Amino acid sequence: MAAIGSAVGLGNVWRFPFVCYENGGGAFLIPYFVALFTAGIPLMILEFSVGHWARGSPPEAFKKIGKKWEWAGWCTVLMPFLVAIYYIVIMSWCFSYMIFSIDLRWGDQAAHFFESFLGDTGTPIVFGGISMPVILGLIVVWFFVFLILYKGVKRIGKVVALTVPIPTILLIILTIRGLTLPGAIEGISYYLTPNFSKLLDANVWLAAYAQVFFSLSLAQGIMITYASFLKKKSDITNNAFIISLADAGTSFLAGFTVFSVVGYLSMNAGIGIESLGTQIAGPNLTFITYPTAISLLPFAAAFFGFIFFIALLTFGIDSAFSMIEPISSGINGKWKISKAKATAIMCGIGFCLSLMFVGGSGLHLVDIIDHFIANFGLVTIGLIECLILGWVYTLRKLRYHANEISEIKIGRWWEVLIKFVVPAVLFLLLLASIFQNITNPYMGYPWWLIVLAGITPLIVIFAISFTLMKIRPKEEPL
Amino acid sequence: MSLPLSAIIMLIFGCIVLYGGLAYFIYRAFKGKNK
Repeated sequence: MAAIGSAVGLGNVWRFPFVCYENGGGAFLIPYFVALFTAGIPLMILEFSVGHWARGSPPEAFKKIGKKWEWAGWCTVLMPFLVAIYYIVIMSWCFSYMIFSIDLRWGDQAAHFFESFLGDTGTPIVFGGISMPVILGLIVVWFFVFLILYKGVKRIGKVVALTVPIPTILLIILTIRGLTLPGAIEGISYYLTPNFSKLLDANVWLAAYAQVFFSLSLAQGIMITYASFLKKKSDITNNAFIISLADAGTSFLAGFTVFSVVGYLSMNAGIGIESLGTQIAGPNLTFITYPTAISLLPFAAAFFGFIFFIALLTFGIDSAFSMIEPISSGINGKWKISKAKATAIMCGIGFCLSLMFVGGSGLHLVDIIDHFIANFGLVTIGLIECLILGWVYTLRKLRYHANEISEIKIGRWWEVLIKFVVPAVLFLLLLASIFQNITNPYMGYPWWLIVLAGITPLIVIFAISFTLMKIRPKEEPL
Repeated sequence: MSLPLSAIIMLIFGCIVLYGGLAYFIYRAFKGKNK
């Protein structure tokens, strides 16, 4: 249940719709399904098998494979920590919207309201004024993450028993409302109609793989950590399928909610859906479409709005604490620092780093960092995982381990996917996307900014990972 | 306006694969538990 909670989060209701919109709606769904079945589910089984076999945090698991590979474990736990820094900013927006929903403060112009709420400067270069509601949201969310985590994994189980089903029910209610809006069918048509010419664009494929990695919490050490807590006889393969399909199913559903409202907005504006781009493209899409759907509910809109944003927060909180848990477990495992202390340190550092998004440039910085972390960081870590676990460690042993305790037996096809297909696809996609990003910088941003906000965090993660591997606990011999 | 055929196919495919698959694996999990 905790793993479902981690996988199903804002990645489904916030990230999937806007990535889908940016990559041509229906054009994105085919690569998404291909990525889910060729990389998502096989890697989910792989991470579950490693965690269950190693019975430790990702750095410990990779160290068990070979001492020199410990850095890869640290990379996998640092990556979700970096994601958490901006992910919790999105949650703080949700927190503010939960308050705003009491009187539906966004009014009829949800798009305009979102920009004025953030004090958007329109560019990532100008920091602008500080948004106090965002700072307040950050304090609240980071504090909740700390509260849930400091007592350890037992508390997580209790939290997710509530935070997984409630938001799903509310999402279904909003989807029904969205589908009954005038113009909804145009939005759904844009969402579902495949555009086969887009299948030749490497960026669309990379975005699909990245979305699967982000949403399923893969290449982030999260599933390795959770699998280490599973009972010895837990069915790994079945769990991997359930989590992956529940996650993709939630994304698919959220697409209907958002795109039905996009169709409505397009009809109201009297322009085509593609032309709405400048208004609604990017991380702000859901903060325009969901409030619009809420305002249009026939009764008790404020009540449903309030409940919906609580639900969105609870959706996110499962993923947020799962992003901090692996690094806390890693520190706790290596240096024997108490879990509470490790969690407090990481939450403190995370909060300070989140403050860089509280200005009017926050929306754009989130967009750049998310683009590079998900599209390049997670995909690179996924590639490294496949290479180390597929080629250095005997993959067959992991398959036998999974088959021993699982009802569904995985065949050699899985080994072929992890050893050859997934690494080859990820490598080619990375190369093609790097080339495209060099010839055409992301969103036309200046190069120095892309290096500073997009590439530097990735280099820092690798540098810290190697440093953490070198720093040995006092009692451990060299 | 009605949905184009390719969109309807995508809708059916998504629903069967994702929700049908999910229901199937949950069923297997319950079946395994009761054994």
